[in-house]
Amino acid sequence: MILAMRRVYVVIVGLLLASGALQFYFAAVGAFTKPQTDDSYSLHLINGRMVLPLLALLAIGAAALARAGGKLVGLTSLVLGLLVVQTLIIVLGNAIGGATEQRTTTLSLTILGLHAVNGIVIMGVASTVMRRARNLMAAK
Amino acid sequence: MSTFSLIAVDLLVAFLCVVAWLGAAITAATGRGVAARILTASAVAVTLLRLAVVLALAGRGWWFVQDKVTLGLPLVGLAGAVAAGVLVTKGVAKAVVPLFAAGFSATVGLILPLLWGYPQNAGQAMISLSLVGVATVAAWRFTSSGPVRAGRLLAPAIALGVAGVGLGFLPLQQVSADSSAAPITTDVASLRGPSVPAPGGSVRRFELAAQKATVTLASGTRTEAWTYNKTSPGPEIAAVEGDLLEVTLTNVDIESGVTLHWHGYDVPNAEDGAPGVTQEAVLPGGRHVYRFLANQVGTYWYHTHQVSSEGVRKGLFGTLIVKPRAAVAEGADLVLPIHTFDGEVTLGTPERTVPSGEPVRLRVINTDNTPHRITLAGTDFRVTAADGNDLHEPGPVSGKALRLAAGARYDLSFTMPGNPVALLVDDGLSLSLNGAAVVADTSGWSELDLLSYGTPAPTPFGPGSRFDRDFTLVLDRGLAMVEGAPMFAHTVNGLGYPNIPSQVVREGDLVRFTVVNRGIETHPWHLHGHRVLVLGARGSPLWLDTFDVRPGEVWRVAFRASNPGMWMNHCHNLDHAEQGMVLHLAYEGVGSTMSHAAH
Repeated sequence: MILAMRRVYVVIVGLLLASGALQFYFAAVGAFTKPQTDDSYSLHLINGRMVLPLLALLAIGAAALARAGGKLVGLTSLVLGLLVVQTLIIVLGNAIGGATEQRTTTLSLTILGLHAVNGIVIMGVASTVMRRARNLMAAK
Repeated sequence: MSTFSLIAVDLLVAFLCVVAWLGAAITAATGRGVAARILTASAVAVTLLRLAVVLALAGRGWWFVQDKVTLGLPLVGLAGAVAAGVLVTKGVAKAVVPLFAAGFSATVGLILPLLWGYPQNAGQAMISLSLVGVATVAAWRFTSSGPVRAGRLLAPAIALGVAGVGLGFLPLQQVSADSSAAPITTDVASLRGPSVPAPGGSVRRFELAAQKATVTLASGTRTEAWTYNKTSPGPEIAAVEGDLLEVTLTNVDIESGVTLHWHGYDVPNAEDGAPGVTQEAVLPGGRHVYRFLANQVGTYWYHTHQVSSEGVRKGLFGTLIVKPRAAVAEGADLVLPIHTFDGEVTLGTPERTVPSGEPVRLRVINTDNTPHRITLAGTDFRVTAADGNDLHEPGPVSGKALRLAAGARYDLSFTMPGNPVALLVDDGLSLSLNGAAVVADTSGWSELDLLSYGTPAPTPFGPGSRFDRDFTLVLDRGLAMVEGAPMFAHTVNGLGYPNIPSQVVREGDLVRFTVVNRGIETHPWHLHGHRVLVLGARGSPLWLDTFDVRPGEVWRVAFRASNPGMWMNHCHNLDHAEQGMVLHLAYEGVGSTMSHAAH
């Protein structure tokens, strides 16, 4: 049962990594779409708001059921936490930076740019989780 | 500090609160005692800071802090106090689980309100407590080596969550928000316009055929559009005060159907063009005749209201201009509907020639979903009308930008100077009068505050009046049912269309409504069939039909209920309307037999 669960854990984290890679791809699709409309980033939005958080939640559950230990469960939870931070960066960037519908400011862009940096951090954390999850599976 | 800035600061502090408490818990669990103590002290400080921010925010209105005062702050405050107390009295090792509980409390208080918006209800509070309970039990299990009794707490925590789901989400299934106590005595369909003009007026007939066509933009770009009479904007409907307008709408090939809504015009209800409420949408091959008196002088526009988000964006709109019967000074009168086609901002002809010394009136109309910034370089000017209504003693304006809400209109008047004049939309050149102006960089110009523009004048009612009805609309985002499907909706008082209760009024009532924007997006609010008076304007009285409620803003407006019917009251960012932000203003005794189709 636990061995099967560890396999499931690895699969879910694998899907999470794949979905994360796709998220970068969708961001590029949005950035290069012309003309820019509210729909340009729809794939990025759907994947980011629905698929990634769902996979992150499932990964936390799978980690717990796989008896992954407190540290690895915590690290898996960090992925979900950082996903929330992605949304916060957008909200805070616009609010604190004083951006409007037509115009961003230097301050808002300085904050909004962190969206990409945090994206890389998420992939890094998820990769670490993946490595440890595979070790866990191999440990028997 | 603006309310929106305070909301942002609160979010930032709430986030730091999460980081500090969870950081303290993790360092405590991994045996780093000094770090745990420092982080706990910081967490206490940040929590107190959040209390201060929330108190400041509470001064701007209860709506902005309801979730924080009723649950978020007490939860993290209590859990944090226990954790800090245990840490001080019993040491770091004993404080691990309470610290995690504080961290999870802070997390839940930050994230969940963003998910379900305003107002937070008892069921949602129970779900929050349940999640904190379950997560704390899990942390307990993972951080202790020996057997623990934590499991005993799991069942009650889960039960609380299940009860919360039941309590909090089942009510969303409710339908028929439009039930009014009074019996229906008037059918909307009977509230038609007159068939003869006012004395001295004439009948003006227009025929509009909705059809797909390729249109050429000012830049030369050709684009596939949805049009009235193969042009977009559609034909200008022009009339003189007192005329009877008779507009026949046919549909050639717009499969989803079309209507004509007279934006800002207080027509009789059955002429309003709200599909499923005042008429059925006109499908291909169909026909509908609209009749109403041109009794409001000014700048207006028309557009489809059937799947309006897509329809208007693709080009189903045009202008409606009514001039006074009395002769006015000749001069240049330019109608400038701003519309974004395929990312290109258009407003008709990009260049015009006007003899210097002539009076000029520019009628700018925002047909898009988001506001535009309007600047005029090369002359000073007066804003003579807003939403078609004349302003009282408008003063000269120069070096200021105007913010034009989605759906709104301004009339700008000036005498043509000897030099060229440029109209800029979003600080980009859009119209040149008399040749290539040296275009000023207007991006640094501050916004004209229309609330203190012009001078006061008597109004039939005002902030001190006694109101017969008082409604509050709190705009936010959150999980809600919209036309039977759950979505992350644009909500009014936590609900989405058609579950938002109608505002029910009686004919003759003086009605006030307050619109609060608790979210992070601008909502251009638009009531059909009535102009509203902005309460609290310090300059000219402001009668508007569309007003931008920006994040953190609270608008109080009033109107006399003098146009019976079932009226849409909605966000004119039509994408937001499609995602739930629509309700009805219903007069007692008036009912519709129609099926509330897609707007």
